[in-house]
Amino acid sequence: MEIRPRSFHARRLWVLSIAFLLILLGPLANYYFQIDLIQGWYQSLGIGNFWFVSPLEGLESILVAKQLYLPALIAMLAPVVLALLLGSVFCSWICPISFFSELLDWTRRKISGRRWLKDRLLLSRRLLWYALLGELFFSMILGAPLFVFVSPPGLVGREIMTLIFFHTLALEGVIILLVLGMNLVTRRFYCRYFCPLGATLNLIGSRRRVTVSMDHDRCIACGLCDRSCPLGLSPANGMAESLYCWNCGECVDVCQSDALFFQWRQGSKKVQKGKPNQRLKQTAAPDEH
Amino acid sequence: MKRREFLKKSGAALCMITAMPEIAFSKGLLKSPVTTNRLRPPGAVPEEIFAGKCIRCGRCVEVCPYRSIRLLDIRAGIFTGTPIIAAEEVPCYLCMKCVLICPTGTLRRISQEQTRMGMAVVNRHRCYTWEGSIICRTCFDVCPYKGSAIILDELRPIIKGDHCVGCGICTHACPVTAEDGSKAINIEPIYSRETVQWK
Repeated sequence: MEIRPRSFHARRLWVLSIAFLLILLGPLANYYFQIDLIQGWYQSLGIGNFWFVSPLEGLESILVAKQLYLPALIAMLAPVVLALLLGSVFCSWICPISFFSELLDWTRRKISGRRWLKDRLLLSRRLLWYALLGELFFSMILGAPLFVFVSPPGLVGREIMTLIFFHTLALEGVIILLVLGMNLVTRRFYCRYFCPLGATLNLIGSRRRVTVSMDHDRCIACGLCDRSCPLGLSPANGMAESLYCWNCGECVDVCQSDALFFQWRQGSKKVQKGKPNQRLKQTAAPDEH
Repeated sequence: MKRREFLKKSGAALCMITAMPEIAFSKGLLKSPVTTNRLRPPGAVPEEIFAGKCIRCGRCVEVCPYRSIRLLDIRAGIFTGTPIIAAEEVPCYLCMKCVLICPTGTLRRISQEQTRMGMAVVNRHRCYTWEGSIICRTCFDVCPYKGSAIILDELRPIIKGDHCVGCGICTHACPVTAEDGSKAINIEPIYSRETVQWK
């Protein structure tokens, strides 16, 4: 396998590492040097006076407590705008679970020598929406936001903080292990089918400006992009423009004929639903949806 | 799977789901962890909506310079990941950093004097001075609002509820420790049981 030096993959790994370092160094600086510039993790991150609140967590808090709080709304603005423009890039470029998944992928590649894992367990992609709905529904019944204390991206931050501050690990960290373990059965199993945060960001990014587009004249129907997609989407069949794509750029990297590319769209054309394009049906889709 | 088997299993699952709140209540999964000497940080909203409003970002824990605030783990049920202060171990020194950092307004922005984490209660059967064994005025000496929140009446400590902020510094300093870990002066989180005024 080769990673082109200026590929999206390499850049994404850089961004993921920096994003992970941020939530690793924040607690370290707080605990050992009393520097409280950075606090929190990807549920709410504070860098000085710049605050970020994850849209789903903020929404849950508002729905359950039925109270609006202006700083929270303002802090939710930046992530929402990011998702509006770029889609759910948080998931693929920032989320610490993605960071660990990439590490796991790298290790697996070193051990097995196979570049891509075959997805063994496939479910309906619509599960993602039911996960979001169910999560909001149960949160409101229970009167406590469910996702905020079992969200894997948040749990990573909480475990790091608990480790540094109290030299112990919280019990709920097994959820992270479960999520990562399922990656060995199906790539990004949790992200694909169950992550309510991913679903929220996908919905916000339904009219995103940046999509992976395809030049059909250049496509040689090699099917590499379909195999490379960590979400099991089929960019060759136009699914990269669907709601589910998280703009990681793996397919763009792998495309040998430069048929796939990131595109900044001017109009606010709605992103297509996940319907495969009939025109390129001969490129065998890796799985059914 | 046969139809009958499926119906049986789904029926069992339904029973489980309907029984869930019962189980949760009996295991204390919905019970607030706020009790004597277990306090929320300053400015906390009432327990009724605390679990709903807090997004468990842990920023108050990170920003606390005294490491007073800790996170609850999954054993606290729906209160998992919420902040708590164990007053007799590390009390709150009222630096008010956490109230400025809370992104959801779960810790309201209030001043030191407005803080009501609870109220100190002297156990007159345990307190050395009240018992009459020795004259101890540790709680009075350490109180940040001595003279208003705590006064001495013939050298015996008396709490003035109107001014006590419930920081727990007196609890931490109290030399008397009972078998159950409580002190002769304990913080009762009476304000956490307030109900929310819906507008």
